Parts: sequence; structure tokens; C-alpha cells
Amino acid sequence: MKYLFSALLLFFTATAFMSCDEETPLQPVVSQTIRDLNADYAPLVFNPAGPPTRPGETGKFTLFSFKTGEIVPNTELATTKWDIGFRATSIIFNSGSSGPGIVVGQIQNGIFDEVNEAPEAGYASDNALATPPQFVISPSPQIPGAAALTNQWWRNGGSTTSTIVTPIAGRIIFVRTGDNRFVKMEILSYYKGAPAAPNNVNDPDRHYTFRYVYQPNEGRSFR
Amino acid sequence: MVTATRTERVMGALPMPVLMIGKPQIQTMGSVRLNDVLTEQPGLVVVPQVNGLGNGIQLQGLNPDYTLILMDGEPIIGRFTGSLELSRIAVGNIKQIEIVKGPSSSLYGSDALAGVINIITDRPEGTKGSVSARYATFNTLDLNADFGFKKDRLGVYTFLNRYRTDGYDLSPQSFGKTVAPFSNYTFNTKITYQFTPAADLSVSVRRFEERQTFGFEVQNAGARIRTFGEGTTGDWNVNTVFTQRFSTRSKMIGRLYATRYHTATWLNRESDGAPYYTDYFQQTFLRPEANAEWFLNDKNMLTLGAGAIRESVQTSRYGDDAERFQFTYYGFFQHEWTPTGKLSVISGGRLDHNSIYGSQFSPKLSARYEVSPKVALKVSSGVGFKAPDFRQVYFNFLNAAGGYSVLGTEVAPARLTELDAAGQIQAYFFDPATLGKLQAERSWSVNAGASVNMSARLQGEINLFHNSIDNLIETQAVAITTNNQTLYSYRNIARAFTQGVEANLSYALFKHWSLAGGYQLLFAKDKDVLEQVRDGNVFYRDPATLVTQRLARREYVGLYNRSRHMGNIKLFYLNPATGWEGSIRLVYRGRYGVGALQGNIQGENIPPSDSNSNGVLDRFDSFVRGYGLVNVAVGKTIRETLRVQLGVDNVFNHTEPVFIPNLPGRLLYISGRYQFQQKSKPKNP
Repeated sequence: MKYLFSALLLFFTATAFMSCDEETPLQPVVSQTIRDLNADYAPLVFNPAGPPTRPGETGKFTLFSFKTGEIVPNTELATTKWDIGFRATSIIFNSGSSGPGIVVGQIQNGIFDEVNEAPEAGYASDNALATPPQFVISPSPQIPGAAALTNQWWRNGGSTTSTIVTPIAGRIIFVRTGDNRFVKMEILSYYKGAPAAPNNVNDPDRHYTFRYVYQPNEGRSFR
Repeated sequence: MVTATRTERVMGALPMPVLMIGKPQIQTMGSVRLNDVLTEQPGLVVVPQVNGLGNGIQLQGLNPDYTLILMDGEPIIGRFTGSLELSRIAVGNIKQIEIVKGPSSSLYGSDALAGVINIITDRPEGTKGSVSARYATFNTLDLNADFGFKKDRLGVYTFLNRYRTDGYDLSPQSFGKTVAPFSNYTFNTKITYQFTPAADLSVSVRRFEERQTFGFEVQNAGARIRTFGEGTTGDWNVNTVFTQRFSTRSKMIGRLYATRYHTATWLNRESDGAPYYTDYFQQTFLRPEANAEWFLNDKNMLTLGAGAIRESVQTSRYGDDAERFQFTYYGFFQHEWTPTGKLSVISGGRLDHNSIYGSQFSPKLSARYEVSPKVALKVSSGVGFKAPDFRQVYFNFLNAAGGYSVLGTEVAPARLTELDAAGQIQAYFFDPATLGKLQAERSWSVNAGASVNMSARLQGEINLFHNSIDNLIETQAVAITTNNQTLYSYRNIARAFTQGVEANLSYALFKHWSLAGGYQLLFAKDKDVLEQVRDGNVFYRDPATLVTQRLARREYVGLYNRSRHMGNIKLFYLNPATGWEGSIRLVYRGRYGVGALQGNIQGENIPPSDSNSNGVLDRFDSFVRGYGLVNVAVGKTIRETLRVQLGVDNVFNHTEPVFIPNLPGRLLYISGRYQFQQKSKPKNP
């Protein structure tokens, strides 16, 4: 009896897999870490009077596609080839006022490895034309005492006179791409080489290190 | 005798934790400024202000803002970001210092939230005087002279002090000094006159003036600008006390206290001498008060009092030069009940009505019970409060260079509307209309302990404390301007608690030798953070592996700048026969974390303790290491008139240039004191 049951179970599982394969072949879930994505880095120039400037900066976003796992040239800004863009502490999604696409995002608290499913709702587009401008992810730091605001991804880990951009631990960014695929990502560092204790003298900023999981198949699960 | 309950009592009989430091101890320690004395006391930490300068006092883990500092029962004014600079007080004319731990707003009103430090100065007592000088490292010279006489009905006592120092430089690689050279003068005179055996008057006048010359580098949005300049600080006060005794059972005391504090700074650019920064701040405080004491019978004593306070501030920091006022009217009562010789109960309360924060009622109840001749139990519970200060209400200073600005709650809405109309607001973080009026910060506390006299030689005391503080005023980010400046205002948002144990032991080792030790265990936590940690909403990222994990409750350490452990051990030698005296004192402060704002003036970047990206101090963060300071002093008194003392503070030259700018290195000193006293002549031999 026991053997028969096991055999039956095996049979059903096998047929289930086979039927699935016949419809759409499952692609492997992509888990990636991107290191030192340059988000318009240019060295700071200190001026004797007035704030420091970055004469070398382009002002352009570095665009990225989760599907390909590659940087998309900025010339493709008006296309739907990219999902997310980075420039200094600004992060944009390809939709709304930021791009022609329908990529939407949101930011949540949690542990990256524990989260196995993307939220069903709550995704939004950037609206730079609103007053005040509304971005899915705020370019500003999280300020102590402003706990209700959850769309910041970094806090000042330095001092009032020397800002250190510290990605807040436990912030997960969820993205729904143009072809209805889900991504979870976590920003790990804003400094080249992701040093443990970055400083403004030796560590170039505007270099994103982030990891993400891209689900190439349908559904919100990341398994 | 101590005056912790406003009426003089034998210290041991008080039902609340009180620490008394007398003149002999201050002299044996070789201290010259108030911070030198307080830094060696159990449960007290002398902490720098938010800008890394100065010396404030942390009591039961509460910030310097929450301890009221009195001189002869009247408040010393002039606080910078809530912290009173302790080095403004010379110790030469201090008779004793009384430190009451636990809230005392029931007697003193605002600010007495963590406790009260009352400095009792010398009064005219016979004909006597002294001159003394101390020379120490950093070319520090302290000169004192005092003279007093009492004849028939009139008594006069005058004290003079001059202090000057070259300051010190803990970061020689940076421009300027950690503490720039300064000099100051203190003058204090007290006149007492007895009109009738039942009526006397005391008038005390104090004046303090300090001048500091500095040169330091100002960081202006990344650019470093060298400046030179001067700062002046001063205060004066007049304290008039009239006492009328009606019988042995009742008396009335009328007090009039007026004080003024002022500080001004100017900085010029070194490159071209052009004015770079100026700033001034003036504060006045005027208080008439009357109180009466009645012994209703042997078991009941009643104190009633009422008074009014007029405070004003005028400063360049509020956007205009207008003088701003606030008025407080108050009344208080205290009932001391001793039903038996073993039990005493003190109950009291005070009602304050203020033109800014409205009304506050602060009750307090304390009791002491003698279990046996050797053991006494003490319990006290009360409410303390701190009024929002002028800065939190009126601050109006757009700091173009610093990248952020703070606006007081009265000025924020109008100022934001103005900026918005000019198109300078990029985004709001918080609706300025809901900022509302600031309320007083409030605490509720319990102290419970026991004092044990194990023998004539061994005495111990233990006290458990819990302070629960609500309505804490913190800066609230309100908006960001188009040029990326964050605008802050203030709100009653935070909640915290501090709790712990303090234990003190004193032991007479042998003849002339005594040993004293103190220890404090402290837990100080933010209640909201604790709740978030409990809900699993606080995370940390390992800076090396970049892996994020959830913070467990036991891993949350608590508030910045609090040491879990601190203590001291002191060995004293005093031989009146030979005139020799000496002491070795070890003061320990355990490790603690620092927040983002603590810094040093020399423009170095302070690495905050939070190294794992959660804005919360947890056990994986980096800490300022614990440290012990060893201070020694040796003195000899010759023929009761001449006293010579040699000493070394911080023998092992411990410094922490970035984190503890108020700790200079090793300090050697030599001092001499000559005193004379007219032997009191027997009357009608």
C-alpha cells in the first residue's frame, strides 16, 4: 500500500512538471549584485567662496535594465529599454514624468532574503511636475524624527558639514517592469568599492552597489 | 546641614537621594572650577555641548538641559543649547554643593527634571580672609582672595577670583585650538544685617566676566575659511533675602532675585580681515518670591510660597533685535510630617502658570523609614518638567552656509509661507500648520533606596531610579528649500526613559585614611525606537558583508552619550595633627556611543557611532572606548595659616581629541593659600 502511494505521487508530480514545460518553459530566477554603477560621478571642486561644485558632471541618469542586467545608454532615455535610472541620490522609474514606459516601483521595510513575494499593490510613478515634486523614491535623506516618511533610501551617516550617504538597512525597493515582471532590490553602498566606513576624502561617491532578484516568469513570487 | 527641601535639614534625614560635597573635599581635590568638582562625583558626567565645546552635567542619564543649577537657591541663567557652562562658576567661595537626584519641580519649577544642583556660597562668619594662587599646565593661573568680617549686626564677605589659561590643542594638525585662550573674573560680595534678633537681611551681588580670543577654521559648505575673533560672556546677579521670624514656630522669607547674562562673538576672515560672523545673546531673569514656614506642632511643618518670574531674551539669532518676554506665576506648598521618630513623610506640589506653555502642576511625595538604627529606607516619586526655551519658540536664523536652518515654532509658519511665496520651497516633509504650540517636557520618576550604617566606619547607600520622560522636544524637519537646505522646527515628539542603580560606599580604613567608592548602572532608551525594535522594524547592515539583518531587542543599546557603567574610587588621607593631606581618585566612564552632531570645533569630521545604517545605537556599532582617569593631590598645612598643594590630574594623560574635546591631557598644578582668622574674643570675660 505504502509503495503504491509513493508511486502514484511520483507519477502525478512527473505529469505536472511535463504539462508545465509544454506550456511556457520556466526561466531561472536571476539574482545579481551590480557593483559600482557610476551615477554621474565627477570629482568635487572646492571653492574659496560658496559651496563646492562638480564641473565634470553630465547631469544625465545612468539607466539600467533588470531583464538584461546591463546598463542602457542614456541616449535611450526616451525608449522603454530601461527600467530604473540613477543620478547622484536620485532614482527614477521609466514611467510618469521620468520616462515613456510603465515601470512602477515602491519602497518597503523588510529583510531582502526573507521577502519571497512582491506586494500586489502600492506601486507608483514619478511625478516631477507636481508641487511639490513627487518621486517614488525620495532623493533626500531620511531625517530623524520624520519616521512617517518611508520613501527615503538613505540617511546622513556623516555630519552636518560632511554628508555621508548611508543606505538605510532594511529598505527593499520593489519594481514592476513594463512586461509585468517583478523585481526586488536593495541598495548596499553609494561609494566606489563599497567600503565599510566611507569618507569623502578617499572614496568617490555616486557609485551604487546594489543587489536584486528579477523574476523572469509571471507572478509575484521570487522563488 | 542641607537645604534640599528648601528648609535646612540634617542630610541623612532627607527622604530623597542627596549628595553633599563640602569645602574640605573641594580643597583636597584641588579643584578650581565647578566642572572639576562635579566630574568626580558618582552618577554625574560632565559632557560637552552639541557643538563639542563646554561642560554640561548629565544626571541619572538625562541631558544637561534637565538639571537646574542654583546658586544660594536662585537659578543661574545663560544656557547654550540647553547646557549651562559649569566652568563659569569658581569654587573658591563655595561652602558646599548639594545635589538632589530626582525631579524637584515641586519646589523649583521648570528645569528641575533630573535634579537640582544647589551651590551654597560662603557667608560672613567672623573676621577672616585668605589669598591663594594656583599655577597649572597650559599656563593656567587661578588667583583668589576673600575677606569677611562680622561685627554686631553687620556682616560682610567678599570674594574675588581671576582665572586665565592658554587653553589647549588636542588636534595640532588642525588650525586653531580645541579650547582657545581665555580669562575671566568673578566678584561676589555678601552683606548681612540683623535689624532685630528676629529680622535679618542678606544682599548678595555677583559679577562674572570672561573674554576669549580664538582663531579657527569655519567649514562653509566644504570650503574652509580661517577666522579670528573674540567672544565675551558675563553675568551678574543681585540676590536679596529678608527673613522675619514671628516666633520659634513660624517665619517668613521674602526674596528678590535679579540676574542678567550676556554673550557676544565676532569673527573676521583671516585673509582680508572682513567681518565674517557676529552674534549676541542677552537674557534677564527677575523673580520676587515670598514663602512662609510654620511648625503647626511637633509632628507637622508646613511651607507655603508664591512668586512671579519675568524673563527676557534679546538676540541676533531671532532675526531681529526685539526683546522677547515670558512671565511665570507660581505657588507651592510642602508638608513635612513626622508621626513617629522613625517615619517622616514629605508631600508637596507646585503650580506654575506660564505665558508660553500654560499651566503645569508638579507634585512630589517622599518618605523615609528607619527600619533599625542602622538601616533607613527612602522612597520618593514626583513629576518634573522643563519649559520650552526661548530658542525653541523664537529661533529665526537661516544658516545659509550650514546647509540647514532651524525655526522656532512661533516663527516657522509665517517664515515658511514667506519662503513659499518666493518660490523657495522645494518640498514639505511636514505640514507646518500642524506644528502647533510647544508644551513643556515632562517626566515622572521614582527613586527608592536604602542607607545602611554597618558600623561607625562603614556606610553604604543604594538607590534605584526610573525616569520616564514624555513630550521631549526634538527638531522636526519641515521642508527643503530649492537650494537643498533642510528647514527644521521643533515638536514634542520623543519619549525616553532612564533607569538604573547607584551605589555608594565609604569606609574609614585606618586612622586618617578613608576610602569611598561609587558606581552607577544606567539604561537609557528611546521608547519609540524600543517599540520599533520590538515590532521587528529595525534592521542593521553589516558594513563588511553588506548583509541586512533584523535587530533583536537585547541588541539595542539605547541613547547616545550614555555609559552603561561608571564609577569612582577615592582614597583620602587627612592628618590634622601634622597638616598632611592627600588623595588618589580614580574616575571611570564606560564606553558610550556618539550621535551625528557631537563634534569638535577644529573642523574634524566625527565618525558617528552608528556604523550599520540604521540610525540606532546597537551593539554592533562603534563606541567611544571606556576610560579611567587618575587624579592625585598632596597638600600640607603649616600652622593653620599656610597651605601648599601639589597635584596631577589625568596622570596617564588620557585624551580622545575627537570625541572628548573637554578632556585636556595631563594637568600638573601647584597651589598656595594663606589664610588668617581673628580669634574670636570671649565676651565679658
